[in-house]
Formats: sequence, C-alpha cells, structure tokens
Amino acid sequence: MATQAEIFRIDGVSKSYGGVKALDGVTLEAGVNEYLSLLGPSGSGKTTLLRVIAGFEAPDSGRVFFQGRDVTHLPAHERGIGFVFQNFALFPHLTVRQNVAFGMANGVEKVAEAEIAERTQSVIDMVGLTGMEDRGVEQISGGQRQRVALARTLVMHPKLVLLDEPLGALDANLRGRMRNELRAIRERMGVTFLHVTGSETEALAMGDRVVVLDRGQIIQSGTPDDVYSTPASPAVAHFLNRFNLFEGSLSGGNFTGPFGAVAAPTARRASEDVYAIRYDRVRVVPAASKVTGPALTARYVASEYLGSSVMNFFETADGKVVEVEHHLSLGAPETYEARQNYLLTWEPDQAIVFGREGK
Amino acid sequence: MESRVLKPILAVYVVAFILFLYGPFFVLTIISFQQGPDGGPQFPITEWSLYWYKQIFGLTPPSRIAPLPVGEALVRSLILAFMTMVTATVLGVMSAQAFRRKFRGSTFVFYMIVLGMMVPGVLTGLGTSLLANNVIGITRHWYTTAFATHVAYTYPFAFLVMLAILNRFDASVEEAAWSLGVKPWTTFRKVTFPLIFPGVLSAMLFAFTLSLDEFPRSLFAAGGSEDQTLPLAIYGTFSVEIHPNIFAFGVLTTLFSFALLSVYGILMAMSVRRARKLAMQEDIA
Repeated sequence: MATQAEIFRIDGVSKSYGGVKALDGVTLEAGVNEYLSLLGPSGSGKTTLLRVIAGFEAPDSGRVFFQGRDVTHLPAHERGIGFVFQNFALFPHLTVRQNVAFGMANGVEKVAEAEIAERTQSVIDMVGLTGMEDRGVEQISGGQRQRVALARTLVMHPKLVLLDEPLGALDANLRGRMRNELRAIRERMGVTFLHVTGSETEALAMGDRVVVLDRGQIIQSGTPDDVYSTPASPAVAHFLNRFNLFEGSLSGGNFTGPFGAVAAPTARRASEDVYAIRYDRVRVVPAASKVTGPALTARYVASEYLGSSVMNFFETADGKVVEVEHHLSLGAPETYEARQNYLLTWEPDQAIVFGREGK
Repeated sequence: MESRVLKPILAVYVVAFILFLYGPFFVLTIISFQQGPDGGPQFPITEWSLYWYKQIFGLTPPSRIAPLPVGEALVRSLILAFMTMVTATVLGVMSAQAFRRKFRGSTFVFYMIVLGMMVPGVLTGLGTSLLANNVIGITRHWYTTAFATHVAYTYPFAFLVMLAILNRFDASVEEAAWSLGVKPWTTFRKVTFPLIFPGVLSAMLFAFTLSLDEFPRSLFAAGGSEDQTLPLAIYGTFSVEIHPNIFAFGVLTTLFSFALLSVYGILMAMSVRRARKLAMQEDIA
C-alpha cells in the first residue's frame, strides 16, 4: 500500500453534530487506483467521512488532502471528487443523456459540444445503457438508475470516486451483478474508489483494503483476508457477522467461558475479555458425547437454508443464540430435533481470543 | 352508528357553507343582467339584458349614469399586482432558501417576515402614509408606498409556501451537481429551480391575487385620485349610488380570476403528474 502514490489523505479529522462526535480524529489515506471499502454500522460516521472528503461538510478539525493539495476549505464543486449517492440523486427533470452530460455542460470548465456528445455516448455505452439515452430517469429501473449515477460521475474523469452505500437500494440479485460491474469499470478507468457500506460481505468482496469504522474511529484497516481471519477487536469480529462471541475471563493463558476453561495461548490485547469462534468452525455432536476441549450444551431452535450452506441456530441455557454454519460442499446437512439439547464443540486453536491480558 | 348521524349533519353543513360562499356571487351575477339604464340593484330583476356589460365597454348611448371610472385603475392594479408578484416571489424564494440552514437569529427573522401578514392592514397603511408624509416627506403613489405595503403583505405568503416546498426538497441532487463541478448558482438555476417550480407558481398566484384585491393598505398608502387602484375606484363609486354596472364588472373580474386559476391548475397538474409518475416508477423499481 505504501508503495503506491497517494491520491488522498485525511489527517486527524473530527466532526461533531450538536455535541455528538461523528468523526473522532480519523486519519486515512488511499493510493492511486486503489479500491478501499469502508465498513461500519449505521451511526459509525462513515457517511460523514465521505461528506467531509467530498466537501459537503467542513471538518471541525483536521485536514483533507487530495492529490497532494490541502482542500480542507475548498468548496465541493472545485474539488473534482466524484460522489455516488445511495438514493442515486439523479436529476429527475432530465433524460439519461442530459444527466450524464450535466457536469460537462454546466461545469466551470467549458467543454466543446462535440466532445460532450462523444464522451457522454462512450460512457453510456460502457455502463450498458445504449438505447436508453432519451428516456427520463423515472422511466428506467433501479439498476439502470445506478448506472446513470455512475456514468454521470465517471464521465468527468475524477481521480477519486466516493460511493455512499451505492448498492443499498438494489435488490440482492442486482447487487451481486453490480458488484462485479463496479469492479470491472473501476479497473478499466484506473480511478480510486472509496466505497462505504454497512454490509460486511460487500466490504470483504469489493475492497483491495477494508477499513472498519466504529463510533467515529478507525478500528482496523487491512486486506479483506486480514480483517476476516484476524479481526483486531471484539467490535470488528462483531461487525463481520461471522463469529459467535462469548464473554468470559482470560487469566493465566486460559479463557473461562460458558463452554468451560480453554487454553488461549495466542490471546490478543483488548479492553474486554471475549472469545470468538467462526460460525463454520463449530461442530454439533449428540448431547451425551464425550468431548475434549470446549463443550457447550445448547438447544436446537431452527435452521435457515442459504443456498451454499445451512445456518443452524442453537440456544444456550442462559438464552444466548449460537450460530453454526454447515457448508453444503462438505456433505448433506444433518437434521436436528427441535428443542433437543446438543453439544457444541470446536478446535480451540481456531478460536480468536481477546483479553486484557493479551499481547 | 356514529357516521349515520354525523354524516348527514356534515353534509348539510357543507351545503350551507357552499351556499353562503357562492350565494352572494349568484345574486350579483343575476342582478348584473338587469335591464338598463333605469333598472337598479333590486331583486328579482325586472327584465334580462346585457345593457350593463355593454356600458362597461362604452357600447351604450350616453345616459345619466356615468360609466364606471375603472379603466385606468384596472391597469394600475394589474401592473401593481404584477410588480408585487415578481418582488414578493423573488424575496420569498431567496429567503426560504436562506432558511434551509439554521443561522443565528433565524427565529427572529422568521417572525419579522411573517409579521407582514399578521399586522392589520389598516395599521400598515396608516403607518406607511404617516411615515411617507410626516417623517420622510415623500409623495404617496400606488407604485411607491402602496407597492411597499403590498410587498410587505404578500412576501410572507410567498415565503411560507417556498419554505414548505424546500422543506421537502432532497438536497442530495444539489450536492450531486456540485460534485460534478457545477457552481452553486448554476446548480440553483439548472437543478433546484426547475424542481421547486410548482411551489414558485403557487407563491406567484398568492402574491398576485392578494395584491389585486388589496384594500386597507392601498386606502392609506396609495395617495390621491390619480393613484387609485381598482378596489379603491370601485369603493369610490359606492359613495354616490349603486348601479348594476358594478355587478357586471364584478362578474367579469371573477371570470378573469377563474381563468387565472385554471392556468395555474393546468400548469400544476402537469408538474404533479410528472412527480406522480416518478413516485410510481420508484415503487415499481
């Protein structure tokens, strides 16, 4: 990452709304031609961060640099940073072509008519809207509107495009397709994308690098693989929505939780003692089985068929829900008796342990 | 059960209300077809004719009844209403735009603007007249002092209409335009204004009609007889003797108002249909 030339950098940016800190000293940089996905729950400040970079909001403190230039106080229309809105924000009174040409036709820099026409057409062709040029934007589907929003931004040849949950308004099927297209378009254009999302699957699938934001602070930044397999804190593990988290206590290299005491030689430092085990690492055995290592008695509640896997839900005596994922590629799913107790177990070295004693 | 009692009562109430609202206008219309020049404003009328309509347009032989002295006053009132409409709407749009962001003293400014429609018209008129005569020392005219009072009166209406419209306006389309390198002013002209145009139309209609039949402010602020607006000129004819020509004129101005409303209605329906189609498409998508 450090080897790439830097396209933008924000330095200790803070922003509050009426006493509530939306951003708390955020420092972040992105390289030329990088795909950065920014993951965070709602209210984590991710949209605020985008709006500060775009110039729609001024930070209370900190600086924003774009292409080596301090743009902290530059108005949005002088920055040349593209923005794709969650609701697309197309101009409802204009056609597809007029929407795409809008920036060139009305911008500060004058662009010749012929060039406008040519660039507009080539971007429309690129996003696959050929033949729709003269439709009103109310006469096209959600996926097509998304493409117009993208085309309108890309036609300006920005070096950085900010995407605010751009796939949030699309249905699941379309979301998958647009994900591939976004990636392909970006690779063709050679532009940096900063993609904000509340969906962990989207963040992991799309980014060259995933940045996790919580309560206005960056809590982890790394490749999708890094973040997925080694979450830096219980909060990250929680957002990833792939781990069962147990409270307990870590002392002397052992973690004591509802499943007994388990050796945890590689515990990581965190402000609370939490034990995390991936959904697909948990095994289910009959209640009477003898197991070595962690053993948690839980009642089977229900299961959910997800296509490539089955998610089974168990409930422990104290009401905590434990999720167990069974990948169908590993064989047909077992069937469990409703309201019957089972024993949940796993290999201790596959767990991730956080604690005040950790390193 | 309840509606069986309540509904008929409400129906009767509505009918009574409509009669009360339109009754005077019906009587006025009927009397305007009175025979002339001897027929007076009595009911029922003695004989049907178009005499008073012809008289307004000077198509009758001279008689003891003078034609209505409204020609110039009508022109003055139309010009005044137009000037007021343009000024109040521009001010209303601009200040409503300013109120999209909270600023220091915004509540105070809000009430100062709205005060214009709350203060009794007679007070505004009298105050303006005193201010012009005794304090500043300028002559009152329909296009100066009266114009100022009309703007102070209609501006709050235009402002409130635009405030309601901009309150529901999705600002992300403006931000989208900025992020495409378009200046805020160009963005306003090319994006914001076309989208708030139905509201601007309503504000214009309010300002125009309120100014056209404004009476108490003009009464004091409009100066002498060469400065009379239409409502003042009509009021002036009452003091002598009332003839059905005034009713014929009333019918004509009401028809004019209806025509104006129809144009407004058609323009509005066009933009609402566009908006509805948009909303429907969004539901489908």
